Amino acid sequence: MSQPIPVTVLTGYLGAGKTTLLNRILTESHGKKYAVIINEFGEVGIDNDIVVGTDEEIFEMNNGCICCTVRGDLIRTIGGLMKRADALDGIIVETTGLADPAPVAQTFFTDDEVKAKTQLDAVVTVVDAKHFPLRLEDSREAEDQVAFADVVLLNKTDLVSPADLAAVERRIREINPYARIHRTQKSAIELDKILDKGAFDLQRILALDPHFLHDHGHHHDHDDGHDHDPATCDDPTHDHSHDHHHHHHHDAPNPKHADDVFSVAAVVDGPVDPEKFRVWISGILQSQGQNILRSKGVLAVEGAEQRFVFQAVHMIADSTWGQPWRAGEKRGSKLVFIGRKLDAEALKAGFEACKAA
Amino acid sequence: MSEAKLPARREFAFGAYVSGAAFTADGETAGFALGSGAIKLVTVADSSVREIAAHKGASLSFAAHPDGNSFLSGGDDGRLVRVARDGETSEVAKFQGKWLDVLATHKSGGFACAFGKEIRYWAPGATEPKTLGPHPSSVAALDFSPDGSRLAAAHYGGASIWQIRNPASAPRKLDWKGSHIVVRYAPNGKFLATTTQDNAIHVWRLANGQDMQMAGYRTKVKALAWTADARYLLSDAADCFVCWDFSGKGPEGQPPVEYGFGDGRAMTAAIAHPDSPFVCGGFENGALRLGDMDSKRDLELRPGADDRKPIRAMAWSPDGWRIAAGAEDGYATVFDLKAKS
Ligand SMILES: [Zn+2]
Ligand SMILES: [Zn+2]
Repeated sequence: MSQPIPVTVLTGYLGAGKTTLLNRILTESHGKKYAVIINEFGEVGIDNDIVVGTDEEIFEMNNGCICCTVRGDLIRTIGGLMKRADALDGIIVETTGLADPAPVAQTFFTDDEVKAKTQLDAVVTVVDAKHFPLRLEDSREAEDQVAFADVVLLNKTDLVSPADLAAVERRIREINPYARIHRTQKSAIELDKILDKGAFDLQRILALDPHFLHDHGHHHDHDDGHDHDPATCDDPTHDHSHDHHHHHHHDAPNPKHADDVFSVAAVVDGPVDPEKFRVWISGILQSQGQNILRSKGVLAVEGAEQRFVFQAVHMIADSTWGQPWRAGEKRGSKLVFIGRKLDAEALKAGFEACKAA
Repeated sequence: MSEAKLPARREFAFGAYVSGAAFTADGETAGFALGSGAIKLVTVADSSVREIAAHKGASLSFAAHPDGNSFLSGGDDGRLVRVARDGETSEVAKFQGKWLDVLATHKSGGFACAFGKEIRYWAPGATEPKTLGPHPSSVAALDFSPDGSRLAAAHYGGASIWQIRNPASAPRKLDWKGSHIVVRYAPNGKFLATTTQDNAIHVWRLANGQDMQMAGYRTKVKALAWTADARYLLSDAADCFVCWDFSGKGPEGQPPVEYGFGDGRAMTAAIAHPDSPFVCGGFENGALRLGDMDSKRDLELRPGADDRKPIRAMAWSPDGWRIAAGAEDGYATVFDLKAKS
């Protein structure tokens, strides 16, 4: 069985710096061969890489649900790429500025052939530090793109004051506390920070997040006495040299709306019963999938030696067996939801009820 | 049946994904299109192989040319290339930046390719194509009607049928939700079958536009083949021959004929004999099986194995005596059903 090809999805609002990043990927001598799927042909420096222009074709699936969609052009393009003789190191999919990232991600979870040959590695979202607050006001897409991200490039940091930058980063964290944030200017970043990261390898993300168990998320309950010591924090996504997001929560203009995206983390102290979990999570995704943008988790399953890695985009779920538990390692189960109008208490209680007896 | 009765075969290792297979009209030359952009021409009589470099990237679509002596290949370099059996190669057209992954030909001389939302159709003898479209979304597949008067295109939301002698007229629309990825006319011209992204087959009775849905597949159906008498519609995607019976009242409310259960692996390519009620399937573990629709018995032409790759391309020679097949890993074979090994 050949290794699946890692796929990086590149999203970002118009003008955020996505094209600059793409040009960087295409022109840098990285010694690798990428196929880049873009939504139109631009003037890009093509060296070793393959550039494919497609029109985004969003196809509804036949279950009649508006959130269950895939990208038809991607299915065909990836099918064509898989016939080629040259081995690809990765596939990069650029989406248009206004694109909803869900259909792209769902394509990698649903189409049999795409699933067999590729693996979604990370959703990388480029955010314009200066204009992001405005974008949040005038569009839902900007918020969705951050909600879907595994990696956020907080770009154009030279165009804002340190205080504004801290406020933007805080806002990103409120939407999606689980993404890694890299501050950049002119989209300058080492490519190994965004490509082939295994960022969708959730056990890594979740393991790296020391705040996971603290249930940060949203709810603005940051006066909960959560004690965070930068000296002992090993979260690489935290830059403790600047304003830490925990301590400056309400000092910047930061309008809130009833349908803001936020996250909920649910934890079970031990293994879950696989059948209970299956029934519960499919019910949750069926009934609330339109509001749940992403959910991801790493579970200890009763009777299994490997971690159970679960993720979903809206209603469409995908799961695999991950790394085995080490001898003597404490087996816990964690699940996060990123979305709108989530009932945090119900989700936590529901997950708790899946605990193995 | 015993090993001794297996038809004679030639096997080749072409080293790249076999994306297409076809025969010349006399069945004496088999053409294989590869993901490397090469076309391999196999002379069946002596198994000699000639390699033609046709495309920079991959050959994405491949068919017998209506002239009977050559092949057409569409590539991801935007080139539509004619490759004659003697290796002579000429560029029919080039569409810069397009992937030519959809191609259809008709024995009367016409052929067509599609990229994006448009079709380019070459009338018999024409050097310049006519444009059909745009369609509401990308064209995923094309097929000529048996009499060559119409061209059906599969796309998101259904199929469109063009009267190709009158390209200015609006196409007939056959609507069904979902993304349609394969299209096949029944040999009697009475039915049009498509497959959809959501693991189903859709068939329209062309006389009155009535349609029917055939589901129950675990994966999407990527190959359809009608038997020559238009009685059975064979699909891939299952672990056996699944054949919908269109005789009498048709398949509605009836289970399909299923036989040839092998080793539980899915079929990935399917063809039907040009005259007689035989079918042939290629499987994801490289197995090849011949099926007899009369006796519902099957013959394993090639056993599957875990280290073998899916069969992706198959063709039956027009005289019905030879079968060509190719796999993802570059394996290719030509069976001669007359000669016994
Ligand atoms: Zn849905
Ligand atoms: Zn920290």
